[in-house]
Amino acid sequence: MSAPAYAACVALVTALGLGIAAWTHPAFLHSSLQTMGLEAVPKAAPGSFYVTRIAPLFETRCISCHGPTRAKGQLRLDSFAAAMRGGKDGAVIVPGDPKASELFHRISLPVSDDKAMPPSGKAALTPDEVTVIKLWIVAGASGEIRTIKGAPKPVLEVKIPESDPATVQKQRAPLAAAVTQLQARFPGVIIYESRSSADLEVDASLKGATFGDADLAALMPLKARITRADFSSTSITDASAPTLAAMTALVRLRLARTAITDKTVQALAGLKSLKSVSLVDTRVADAAPLKARGVAVYGGGDE
Amino acid sequence: MSDLTSDDLLAEYLKVQAQTRRQFVGWGAGGLGALFMNSAMAAAPQPHAVPSALNFARDPATPLSVLPPQFAAKVKRVIYLHMGGSPSQLDLFDYKPVLKRFHGQDCPQSFLAGKRFAFIQGVPKLLGPMFPFHQAGKNGTWISDRLPHLEKQIDDLCIIKSMKTDQFNHAPAQLLVHTGDARLGHASLGSWITYGLGSENQNLPGFIVLISNGGTTANAGKPLWGSGFLPSVYQGVPCRSAGEPVLYLQNPPGVTRPERRQVLDAVDEINRENFKTFGNPETVTRIAQYEMAFRMQLEASDAMDIKKEPAKVLERYGAEPGKTSYANNCLVARRLAERGVRFIQLYHWGWDSHGTPVDEGVNVGLVKRCKETDQPTAALLADLKQRGLLEDTLVIWGGEFGRTPMWENRGGQEMEFIGRDHHPSCFTLFMAGGGIKHGISHGETDDMGYSIVRDPVEVRDLHATMLYLLGFDYRKLNYPYQGLDQKLTGVKPARIVSEILA
Repeated sequence: MSAPAYAACVALVTALGLGIAAWTHPAFLHSSLQTMGLEAVPKAAPGSFYVTRIAPLFETRCISCHGPTRAKGQLRLDSFAAAMRGGKDGAVIVPGDPKASELFHRISLPVSDDKAMPPSGKAALTPDEVTVIKLWIVAGASGEIRTIKGAPKPVLEVKIPESDPATVQKQRAPLAAAVTQLQARFPGVIIYESRSSADLEVDASLKGATFGDADLAALMPLKARITRADFSSTSITDASAPTLAAMTALVRLRLARTAITDKTVQALAGLKSLKSVSLVDTRVADAAPLKARGVAVYGGGDE
Repeated sequence: MSDLTSDDLLAEYLKVQAQTRRQFVGWGAGGLGALFMNSAMAAAPQPHAVPSALNFARDPATPLSVLPPQFAAKVKRVIYLHMGGSPSQLDLFDYKPVLKRFHGQDCPQSFLAGKRFAFIQGVPKLLGPMFPFHQAGKNGTWISDRLPHLEKQIDDLCIIKSMKTDQFNHAPAQLLVHTGDARLGHASLGSWITYGLGSENQNLPGFIVLISNGGTTANAGKPLWGSGFLPSVYQGVPCRSAGEPVLYLQNPPGVTRPERRQVLDAVDEINRENFKTFGNPETVTRIAQYEMAFRMQLEASDAMDIKKEPAKVLERYGAEPGKTSYANNCLVARRLAERGVRFIQLYHWGWDSHGTPVDEGVNVGLVKRCKETDQPTAALLADLKQRGLLEDTLVIWGGEFGRTPMWENRGGQEMEFIGRDHHPSCFTLFMAGGGIKHGISHGETDDMGYSIVRDPVEVRDLHATMLYLLGFDYRKLNYPYQGLDQKLTGVKPARIVSEILA
């Protein structure tokens, strides 16, 4: 066989192979064309409905089988371009026509159907999620559009506050010695608000009458960090009013069953972050200065 | 007292833990393998399983000492009101006027095909709501006329109408609700929480269980407040509301407190010797338990003594000192909450409204249970609120599953009394307290009250939400056991119900 004839044969076989590949794997054709720059790569704009609402659904519910690691039915849903390309049988999303879109057809089948997606055993999409996908296809399956009227609101996922132990340690450092020393003096009374915070909670209520004004005064070094304090049932009196008034970070204060009076209440009125105060079973007759500031007051003359 | 300090105990405990590992390797592998394993494992930070994400190490002599939560908590304690046997959501909270229209007709086949019920066989009749409903509160929440007291607190409630479970028998369903798993051997809610947070009051158990209605226990029994794989010191302590709160706690006649102290000192010394020899941390737990019991002699009787409450308070709850009742237990629950008890678990039995005996009728038994519980539950909520305690307490009310919108026909027979079968597909539960929205309903069932159509909440979602309110990521509150970082929510993915968070 002559060299040109050989080259022609190779070219023919290659072209045939590529042709078959393009025919059986339409996604591959588009993917190749897009890689070669012969076809525009569809992209979704940041902040678009696709990015904020559709991609997260694909991400959590579909890509374990239709993604970079496995691409069942040659379908990948890990990018806008791939999703629009479709799979083995061509496009699965027909802009504007959910009924003709295989993707929508599959997610709206009853779980018992063999063709239902996600397959039985995997968590099904909620009715709201199916609606979101439907409305997006109706709106043109675009990567640009930002909002779609009537789309169910997204479900808010709770974010667990992250914390970095080194940062927490740094925040705690200035008072660490004082906290340790006072924790030793009053076992079980002083505790950090959380593992990720330098703020403190004080609960002396279980110490009862053994905890008095002098003990409360001993907490002064921590005054800017105490957010919640419970001095209920202790023997503190109005003499503690200035100490309490100095605890500027206080959010919640419990003074039930103590000997305090209106004098302490007046002193507390200056605490800006204070949200709730218990004066149950005290001699306080007038909690108006606190109530006027929108503080929730329990007990204190309104029973 | 013995010459062993708590520091010594801790050192001893750690030493013994380390020894066990070496011995295991020595016995198990042998030879070169052992040498290799020994050097490879020497780098492991913990002798057993994988280290937990958060450190819960405590001095073994004070296993209930307080630890801060992972992040700022919304609530500090939980009061769980379990209505054992499962109240009918269709007759109390989940109003279904459409079901009422179809009352008495045959149940449609689509409800029955492929389904199994605990007792229903053949084609049962549909059973509409048995009591009139009306709207109450600021948001017009539907409630039946069986709960007139609770109705006054309706604006404090967050009612979840879309709870679901996968268990249709009492014991496994109760275990799922209270331990996160339908099988025995898992740690209960209160155990997890006292393990994670400790207890504010070292003179009382951190996890107290109060049971009413003839002292009957719930079907699943003590494992409902068991500690499972967690150290036994975190299990719930049942207290009685009549007679002595804790049996055998008080000194027998003729034994004085100093004498009891002497006996305890001697027992402690023997236990410490035992610990030195065998190094079982449960021995340290036992010493701690004896010491707590000694302190409890003074504190528990006071906490449980509702005679100390003013007459008007007793009246509000409908409490009668000296009796065993749900009302008394509700009042005790408030007293315990004030005293820093972390988890207070109430059980009220008798809600299993099958209609077989008359007392299990929706029209008889359920009415009685409502009468016993409506006023005390409402009084507890009002009292907590008035004292400012509701701000940092989470109150949960509910059964272990729901009841069918069909009239139970045990053995395919029409029954003399009105009853509903077990229904795991949907049930109603309510919460109140800190960190959650109030005056709302979450989730929705279909017009027949048969399945959930909106916002299903799995039991593990409820648990994840509860832990979140207490300041924990449910994925991080772990205990390494059997090679797995055990979690309350189990291995299936859970979700914090963000929609109900305030």
